[in-house]
Amino acid sequence: MNIALQLRRGISAEAYKYKKTFTFWLLILAPAFVPIINFIILWQRGPQVVKEGMNAWSTLIGFSIDPANFLFPFFIMMVALLVNNIEYSSNTWKLIYAQPLSRLSLYLSKIKVFIFMIFISLMLFGSFTILVGLSMRLVQPDLGFEESFSFSFQYALMIKIFLGTLGMASIQFFVSQQSKNLILPLGIGIAGVISFMIAMQGWEHAPYHPYGYAILATGGVRQEGFEVWADMTSVYKSLVVAAIVFTASGIIQAKKRII
Amino acid sequence: MTRSIIQTNNLNFNFGNFKALDSINLSVPEGSIYGFLGPNGAGKTTTIRILLDLFHSKPGQVKLFGKDILQNKVELLGKVGALIENPSIYRHLTGRQNLEVIRRMIGAPKSRIDEVLKIVRLMDNADKKAKNYSLGMCQRLGLASALLNDPDLIILDEPTNGLDPSGIIEMRELIISLNKDYGKTIFLSSHILSEIEKMATDVAIIDQGRIMYEGKLDVLRSNDPTHFLEIKVENTQKAIEVIKELNYTISEQNSKTITLPVINKADISKINKALVQNDIEVYQLKSTEETLEAIFLNLTKKLDQ
Repeated sequence: MNIALQLRRGISAEAYKYKKTFTFWLLILAPAFVPIINFIILWQRGPQVVKEGMNAWSTLIGFSIDPANFLFPFFIMMVALLVNNIEYSSNTWKLIYAQPLSRLSLYLSKIKVFIFMIFISLMLFGSFTILVGLSMRLVQPDLGFEESFSFSFQYALMIKIFLGTLGMASIQFFVSQQSKNLILPLGIGIAGVISFMIAMQGWEHAPYHPYGYAILATGGVRQEGFEVWADMTSVYKSLVVAAIVFTASGIIQAKKRII
Repeated sequence: MTRSIIQTNNLNFNFGNFKALDSINLSVPEGSIYGFLGPNGAGKTTTIRILLDLFHSKPGQVKLFGKDILQNKVELLGKVGALIENPSIYRHLTGRQNLEVIRRMIGAPKSRIDEVLKIVRLMDNADKKAKNYSLGMCQRLGLASALLNDPDLIILDEPTNGLDPSGIIEMRELIISLNKDYGKTIFLSSHILSEIEKMATDVAIIDQGRIMYEGKLDVLRSNDPTHFLEIKVENTQKAIEVIKELNYTISEQNSKTITLPVINKADISKINKALVQNDIEVYQLKSTEETLEAIFLNLTKKLDQ
């Protein structure tokens, strides 16, 4: 059986098991959280928030990206934990690894579904944010959302965040896969986020911190003339970290004694 | 000679410095119900995990259907169904959905789900969430998922563990029917001797990582005339000390009687003499028919309850 067929089977089974789970709802509802708050703020306090001369759409994007940059790493931690803990808590590692699929395809199936979940959530987040802006045309027509807005800019921004996040996502995935413990991956994740925030206060090597790549990648979004694809250093760093960590954890998983 | 479905060759396995398996040689004949017997911690589950390549063996150590598991894992596991220890079940899914997860992995036709549900008699509860299943239903669901790929070899690790008497009988009937009616070779581990005795055609007895016996069940019975000796004495505690000093294993004890496996008449008189010499009043010495349990305790020299 070739690897493509094995992978297709693995992914199909992997995706199926999240039916009616908390994970499934988390993927849909978590990306709606910040947009819903923004909707309420703009709806109730629109004129105070979007001041004269400000671009309404840029304000909304800024309002979305800042809290998202803070919350998104925690979302990744949870998803990484959930996709791996579903096997620990159901005692099913041994079940899936005893099926006639290679370890590589089983490992890749999980990673693909994990990455897809992150991607989908970010795209939903981007779409919900646009929806907030569009709905303001109806409920707060004077705020300036009538102006045209480049949807492709918004989705490009989401893709950049996605790529910038893969580095820390790979680390969280690795820790969650190797540890049955729920606290350890969360502890490492929270320590990662906080240590980046401290390091950013002035440490020259802070830009190398994997938990900060996504934040740095979107750092200038509020500034005039920000171009999504202009500065890609953080994205490249993130991809290198992801490649190394996913490969290393794949090798460990291939040799691991499955209990 | 029938061919060996499972063949292990000097299989060794370590957990750090602890030698879990020591030169295990197993040969499971096609069409047999092969009982793999041993106390808890003897190495049964470790062996099964190696057979399924959950723990990696070394080249040449494990052959299934005549082929090395390491090089042919995907092909060989396609012919194997397994139920390992406690049930592996996604509790938020229904029984049917659990089977669907595995069906997608192995690419079996959808109709196969109903077939295996019928075999394990879980049709009526198939659409209930697995978290509401009893342990017996969980075990049957586990067996159903092992049957999905219509395997030639079924590996069952302690399939009756934790089941109530009717669950045990049901599981036993299922296993026998899978062997007789569907022609499956069954590799069955257990620490419950009476279970193996009722089903198996062949046995291997493992203790502390070593194989103590392998072969036909009937041969084991006739070779080894072990039976149980039931002793009633005045002072049970003291008698136990005396018997243990003679290096016998006590299989059962309560305030009135002591039971232990012995091999021949000389053992009985030796124990009696020792008891009398130690001023213990002996009320009764009764020897029972040989059983597999006695043989087992004699081979493993320890009690596992």
